Parts: sequence; structure tokens; C-alpha cells
Amino acid sequence: MPRSIWNGTIAFGLVTVPIKVFSATESKTVHFREVHAKDGSPIEHRRICPKEGKEVDYDEIVKGYEVSSGKWVELTDDEIAAAAGSQSKRLEVDHFVPAADIEPEFYERTYYVGAQDKGRDAYALLHAALQRSGRAGVGRWVFHNRERTVVLRALGDVLALHTMRFADELVDPADFDLARVSRKPSDREIKMASALVEGLHAEFEPEEYEDTYRDAVLDVVKRKAQGKNIEPPADEEPEAADDLLAALEASLANA
Amino acid sequence: MARSLWTGSLSFGLINVPVALYSGVSDQDLHFRQLHAKDHTPVEIHRFCAQEDEEVPYEEIANGYEADGGDLVILTDAELATAAPRKTRTIDIESFVDLPDVDPIYLDHPYVLMPAGDSDGTLRAYRLLLEVMSRTERAALGRFVLRTKEYLVLIRARSERLVLTTLLFHDEVRPAKDVPTPTKKDKPSKKEVDQAVALVEALGCPWDPARYEDRYQKRLKRIVGRKRKGQTIEVPKEEKQPSPVPDLMAALEQTLGEIKSGDRKVPA
Repeated sequence: MPRSIWNGTIAFGLVTVPIKVFSATESKTVHFREVHAKDGSPIEHRRICPKEGKEVDYDEIVKGYEVSSGKWVELTDDEIAAAAGSQSKRLEVDHFVPAADIEPEFYERTYYVGAQDKGRDAYALLHAALQRSGRAGVGRWVFHNRERTVVLRALGDVLALHTMRFADELVDPADFDLARVSRKPSDREIKMASALVEGLHAEFEPEEYEDTYRDAVLDVVKRKAQGKNIEPPADEEPEAADDLLAALEASLANA
Repeated sequence: MARSLWTGSLSFGLINVPVALYSGVSDQDLHFRQLHAKDHTPVEIHRFCAQEDEEVPYEEIANGYEADGGDLVILTDAELATAAPRKTRTIDIESFVDLPDVDPIYLDHPYVLMPAGDSDGTLRAYRLLLEVMSRTERAALGRFVLRTKEYLVLIRARSERLVLTTLLFHDEVRPAKDVPTPTKKDKPSKKEVDQAVALVEALGCPWDPARYEDRYQKRLKRIVGRKRKGQTIEVPKEEKQPSPVPDLMAALEQTLGEIKSGDRKVPA
């Protein structure tokens, strides 16, 4: 059984649902640590005061926010934590939105919501209502001293809790200038490219995709450990096809 | 303009589009620095060799991997880059999937994908892909290596640009089977579900992300402002968890009653 990372209560209207929150995701990267290249000695990160050129002990460190150039306002961890607000055990759901309307960009991180021993009937009821309505609850959740906007939805037999990004955090893609082209894609090119898209249509089956890079990295590690020479690959700069139509034709023939 | 995080090639059939990747998120958070307490000098983090007690320049730092026997294997960045050379330079589109089929649990980080360079061939290939992607509800599924991690990615058209979202691999999503859920005997009655759905609908509104503001950052700014003026900051006390309601049906009905009588605010 995994350990829960937060215990509290979902509240919508006068209904309360006692819950436990669990991590739903984990990163599976091959981890390296920084070492001195010549002998593999561990590297330490040290705090240096640039004025004195000396290391600073942790108990001589404070946190500060720069309000104007060179002028700092010092804050203790408790004072920063005060920004979390007071609802530390209550996840208040304000309203319910159509779950399918939320754009992918807003989802930040996912957690699973489990039922506590008391109030399992309320959990079952909320789950049933979200599943039947196709709606997701939007609320606020204080986790690690920080208030986040969250979305709560039915996922299989459990409730999933997503922390969300705010609209003003997302970059508008239209802010990036896109240069004009001398000639727009022709109907024929669009038709052929569309045929290629249709030809490559597939169900989304995440189990079919394995992270093969992890194995490739571990293989390099193994070869290096055996004292083999690791050759850098020859540089090949990819180029845009000059003849788009010919590339499309060849792609379709291959598909 | 923001700096690109990666440049490479977007490969679709035999078409290669040179592209640059930009973050789709702009950090709006207040950031605190570590300061030397006595005079508020911002401290810097320097890398030191633990053995020699000397500072180590960045070029002399390599990646250490502890093998099973405890032996340390040292790899330079260049050696690490040999692991999957094509994947570090190319986003290979493997298929096209229906966007609603991708469960949000897989979504990781949003990016914007722009053409790299302004050659006519590059721009026309980018426009063609954009045009085709805008006409379909489908998203391209591909993969590539960013820094030292491979990602499954979704590419689709948004605001007349191509956008990319990294996805988690299926083994990075934990199974939900160990999460405690209600048992059969907790199953609500049809009447209770009807009332709960009525409450969800009564509190229903369209998805409008502009509605939500980061109250935490706002409060943090206020706290910095008050501290600057020398005011004291009160730290809220830890709350107790509210107890579950004894009668679910009564709580549902009372809430619906409050909405009906106008005593409870409903979203616009």
C-alpha cells in the first residue's frame, strides 16, 4: 500500500468527503550524479558569499525578495507559508465544468484520491455524480504550503486530482512570429498530407510505447564500464525537403 | 523573445521540418533568493570537488553512474549523447491519434514548436503540417529526447502554430489499484445519485480558465509589501479536518434548497 501524501476533506455544498491523496506519477529517468571528470570525486554545491569569497553556513542564510535593485525584503519560512491561507485540511470544490472542455495545456500534475475509512459512502456518491454528469469539479487545494487550483474527475474506479496551470502562465503561441511564405501549400499537397495523416491514424495505446532511451543510456554505461571506446556520432544536419510534393509522394508510397 | 530550448527536426513520413522548441509556460511566481543574513548579499552556488576542496569549472564535470557492484562509471556529456543520436535531434511522428483519447493523467509540459530558420522549404513544410493539423481533431504522436530524458509527445495546431505537449510513459503512471476506494456496500442509491447529479449540475458552469487567479501569489505579494513596511505577518494555525456528514441525503437536499432559495451563490 502506498503512503498517502495528504489527508483532508473535499467539500462541495454541505457534503463532505474525507480523502487521502496519493502520487499518481513518477519520473523514471536514469539518474547520474555530478562528478569530477578526472577521478570521479563527488561534486558538492556550496553557498558562497561573492563579497567575501567565502562559504556561508546554512544558519547564516535568510530568504529575501528583491523589491528594487539591491533592496531586499527578508522573509522567514513561516511568513512565506502564511500565503497558503487557512484552508489547510479542506479542499473546497466551487463548481463543476464539462471535463472534456479543458485544454491539455492546463493540466500540471496528477494525484489519486482515495477514500478514508469513514465517509466512503460520500466518496462513492461524488464519484458516481462526476461519472454520470461528465463534469469535473474545480476547487482549491493547499498542498506544501501553497494554494493551487485543482480539477477533480472520475478516472476508472478512483477520483483523479489534477493541479492546474493558470491562464496567465500559459504562453499564447500566436506571440511567436511566423514568417510568411511565397506560396501557400497547394490543394494537392494538403490532400496528400491529409491522406498520410489518415494512413497513420491509430488508437492511443500508451502501453505500446516503451522508453527505449533508458536502455540505450544504460547500454552506454555498460560499454564504458567494460573500457570500450564511446564514439560520438557523425553530425548530420537535417534539411527541409526542397521538393515537398516529391517527399509527400514518396512518403505515401512507403506508408 | 524567449530562447529556444531545443532545435532539431520534425520528421513526418519523408518530410523533415527544422524546428525550434520553446516553453509554453511563462513563470509568474515570486522568487526568493538565498541571502547572507548579515548584509543581504545574494549567495552564489559554486561546485567544489569534495576530494580536493577546490572549485571545479563546469567543463571538468561529468556524469557519474553507480553500477550494481558499487563501481562508478564516468560519462561525459558527449558520450551520453551517443545513446540515441537520432532521437536527440529528431521528433519522429509515428502516428496520429484522437486527442480526447489521451487521458490527462499522461500530460506533462506544454511547448510551442516553431520553424527554425526562414528558408522557403522549411516554412512551406511547417505551413503544410499546420494546415493539415488544423483541419483534423487528431494530434500527432511522436517521441524525442530532450536533455537526458526521452518523451512521448503530442503535437497539434493551436492559435495557428504547432504546439507540443510532453507525455509520461505508461510505466511512469502508477497503477490505481492500491488506492482505497469504496466497497459495494457503500454504493449510493439511485435517488442519492440523482440528487448529487442535480447538485453538480446546479453548480455547473462552462470551463473558463480566465476565471481562476493565483490567489497564493497575490497573498505572497501582499505579505512582501507588508513586511517591507515593517508590519508583522500572522501565521495561520493548522486546522483540524472537518468531520464527515452523518446524513448524505440531508446534506444534498439542504444544499440544493440553499441554491433554490438564493442563499448559496452559484457560478455564472
